[in-house]
Amino acid sequence: MKKILIVEDNELNMKLFFDILTYQNYAVEKSYDGQDAYEKLKINTYDLIILDIQLPKLDGFSLIEKLKNENATLCPIIIVSACAMDLDKQKAASYGINDYLTKPIDINNFIQTVKQKIGK
Amino acid sequence: MEKLLSESLNLIDDIINDTQAKNIGFYQSVLEMMSSLYKNSSLGIFFCENSDLTAKSILNKNKCLENYAINSKIAYDFINSKDKIKEIKTKKDEFLYSNSLFVKLAIKESVFGIIILSTDNDITDELKTSFLALAQVISYKIKDYELNEVFKIQLKAMQEAIIEKQEAYEIIKKQHKKLQELDKTKNLFLANISHELRTPLNAIIGFSQALDSKIFGDLNEKQSEYIKDIQISSLHLLGMINEILDISKLEAHAMKFSPIELNPNQTIQEVVNILEPLYKNKNIEIIFDPKFECKIQADYQKFQQILYNLLSNAIKFTKENGKIEIIQLKKDKTYTLKIKDNGIGIDKKYHNKIFKKFVHLNNVYTKNQNSTGLGLTITKELVKLHKGKISLESEVNKGTTFVMEFKNIIL
Repeated sequence: MKKILIVEDNELNMKLFFDILTYQNYAVEKSYDGQDAYEKLKINTYDLIILDIQLPKLDGFSLIEKLKNENATLCPIIIVSACAMDLDKQKAASYGINDYLTKPIDINNFIQTVKQKIGK
Repeated sequence: MEKLLSESLNLIDDIINDTQAKNIGFYQSVLEMMSSLYKNSSLGIFFCENSDLTAKSILNKNKCLENYAINSKIAYDFINSKDKIKEIKTKKDEFLYSNSLFVKLAIKESVFGIIILSTDNDITDELKTSFLALAQVISYKIKDYELNEVFKIQLKAMQEAIIEKQEAYEIIKKQHKKLQELDKTKNLFLANISHELRTPLNAIIGFSQALDSKIFGDLNEKQSEYIKDIQISSLHLLGMINEILDISKLEAHAMKFSPIELNPNQTIQEVVNILEPLYKNKNIEIIFDPKFECKIQADYQKFQQILYNLLSNAIKFTKENGKIEIIQLKKDKTYTLKIKDNGIGIDKKYHNKIFKKFVHLNNVYTKNQNSTGLGLTITKELVKLHKGKISLESEVNKGTTFVMEFKNIIL
């Protein structure tokens, strides 16, 4: 079973992503802030991260930066952010992340993107 | 006598410099200087002003004081009797009355005043000659002095005007900066609002989609209907949030334009699919030629948005069972796109206003429609980003056609 870490601070959005991905037979773990995600990523390995950008303690981009600086092997990342500015998409692309979904997401498109990234 | 003249000339120069420096009475100084040359005399300088004589300065050193009133009347007559320039030229420049000598103050042919010398002694020919010569010199000096005064006044006025202008400029500059800052704040605020609204909307749309896709079990007919209603309203809300964000991007010139090669028919199909719940709900038919073949250079997202805005507008303003046509034309390198509906139409008087921000046409059909009033403003800007033009043809109750012409985008 593929392991996914969801990093999302909004309780309801977390519930939505968790329920949908669990239903798709993925092993899903929750993380509500960037710092907690960082610690989880140090201990565990995941097949995919669903990452929000605006997060408490450590934002999404800072988390990626921190992991990159420590030469940690990064698993695939899908950014799911409520920020619809072009600048953030460009910033994500500069980190090599091209999967950038803007909230509100279309759940079919979301499931599709996850499947494309890591398979079933 | 020449000595007297040159002395007096030097004296006058000194006076001019002195009065300019100390701002004391120029005319008073001139008369005092003259009175030192012509002992025991009274002197007066008068200017012609509005066909009257005005005393500029009077210096009384003897008992001829009381004569001045009469004298000035005589002086007035003296000048006025020669009101024609040519006559003045031919007639005498001086006039002797009792023991007072009247001499014109003039520059070339134009008389501007009179200088009077009154003395207890006899007025000799020598005195007369020297006084005439002196009066001529003084005429020029007065002219210089007066011009200088006028110049000083003008200079002062100009300096004041410059200072005033600078102050006004500074105020405008400050206000402009303030406005720019306010504008930045506004755009940042709108971007934040958009972000804050998207977060709960994600849950609303996501959960209703999850229910609608029945992945967690079947719904009954009413539940299905309500879930669709929630989705339609959410999409509507999202559209408005996007419009607010777009206008703030456009105003901040933060709209990126990245054209790619695309097939417009494919994009039309995609947008029509997105809008399906809206037009199916009103049983509206959307027609376009699926066989139209064309490749254009356009920004995919923005081209999609143009279509979305115009089609959702067309759906909004078309009655149930209506018809919307998407017409595409290609000629040379020009791509023309028309969105034609048979809806309520737009009165001619609104045609110019319709692309302006926050315009809601006040009519029965639009009253209940939620909108930001930004859709067409954004659409026009997006068309402009593609170097295209947008216009409309419309008649009330017959329908509206939006026509877009994009030159040089066909590949």
